Amino acid sequence: MNAQSMQSMVAGFDNEAFGSQAVFRVALQALSHPGQILTMPMDAQLPQSGHGAAALLLLGLLDADTTLWMSESLAQSDAAAWLRFHTGCLCVSDPHEAQFLWLAQGQDQSQTQGHGQGQDPNWPALAQLRHGSDAYPDQSATCVIEVQSLQAGASGWVLQGPGIATQQTLQVQGLAADFLAQWADNHGRFPQGVDVFLTTPTQVVGLPRTTRILNSQEA
Amino acid sequence: MLQSFDKPATAPANPRAEWMALLARAPLPLLEQGLADHTQSTPQWLRRPETGLMMVQGRVGGAGEKFNLGEMTVTRCALRLAAANTSDPALKDTPVGVAYVMGRNHRHAQLAAVADALLQTPAEWPVLEQRLLAPLRAHVQAGQTRRHAQAQTTKVDFLTVAREASGGDEEESS
Repeated sequence: MNAQSMQSMVAGFDNEAFGSQAVFRVALQALSHPGQILTMPMDAQLPQSGHGAAALLLLGLLDADTTLWMSESLAQSDAAAWLRFHTGCLCVSDPHEAQFLWLAQGQDQSQTQGHGQGQDPNWPALAQLRHGSDAYPDQSATCVIEVQSLQAGASGWVLQGPGIATQQTLQVQGLAADFLAQWADNHGRFPQGVDVFLTTPTQVVGLPRTTRILNSQEA
Repeated sequence: MLQSFDKPATAPANPRAEWMALLARAPLPLLEQGLADHTQSTPQWLRRPETGLMMVQGRVGGAGEKFNLGEMTVTRCALRLAAANTSDPALKDTPVGVAYVMGRNHRHAQLAAVADALLQTPAEWPVLEQRLLAPLRAHVQAGQTRRHAQAQTTKVDFLTVAREASGGDEEESS
């Protein structure tokens, strides 16, 4: 870290113990109720770039023994310096080495159409990430993906699987066009596979590898 | 970073590195005295004082293989000097003070970081240089002189022995 990034550094949690516990609670809740939209408690000072909910989630989950890969736009920003300073995590340049990934929302959401709408073109595919092994499925990557909006609506996805009583509906904007295909592949690898959090600036949704996603037309 | 403490560099390359090293070795009374009214201010914490262990590495003679000397207790903190109004845009320009000090004294780490932040402010530097850094330099220097004098009392001159040995070697090799 250089003196420049230190100069614009902001503090982390207002209260480290309570703040990180609240974030951890949200992460647990999100993964045990896939597709449920949760609001992240915002009791911290946040960097300017990146979604607040994503930054807080990583601030709560990372420590000095974890590796993190970030989208190009985030890796150059104050968010990277902020996470490095407060968690001591190791930033890696190869997505396959990372235990946690932070994928930024694309800059030009309005212009891109169809394929990769609103998505950073440099996102690695889920298949490229760490999946763990059959003996240690816990050694897989956790992926935090920033999206444009999250809504509980019937016209989007229908989620099924452990943690969902019958079915859960979710409408997501700002993901890659082939995300559903990638997800079906990821789900098929069980017990291996990556877990995903989708975030907006204030909300979080968990998608553990056990969740099946169907388009509402198919269901 | 490996550093020799008994032989200070002839010209400190980075003045901030020099004053941070001085502040880390400062006794608390000297810090309190030198900072005067700044000791009472409540800083804006970036990282509250936290105590942990650090591995100290050494090299024999400053040039041999690196080895782990042992762990030491270190307290560190980072802060920004308190501004009257937190939404002030000028806040971004107030320097960040950082301190890493030996031991578990949180107050020492805090005051060292306050001093580091103040010393980066051009207006404060001349005052603090005179009131804080000069006494600290004298203190560190006095400590070194005292240790040096103690060590000197045990010094043995091996000059004669060395000469005989080297003379013998020459005869054997010729």
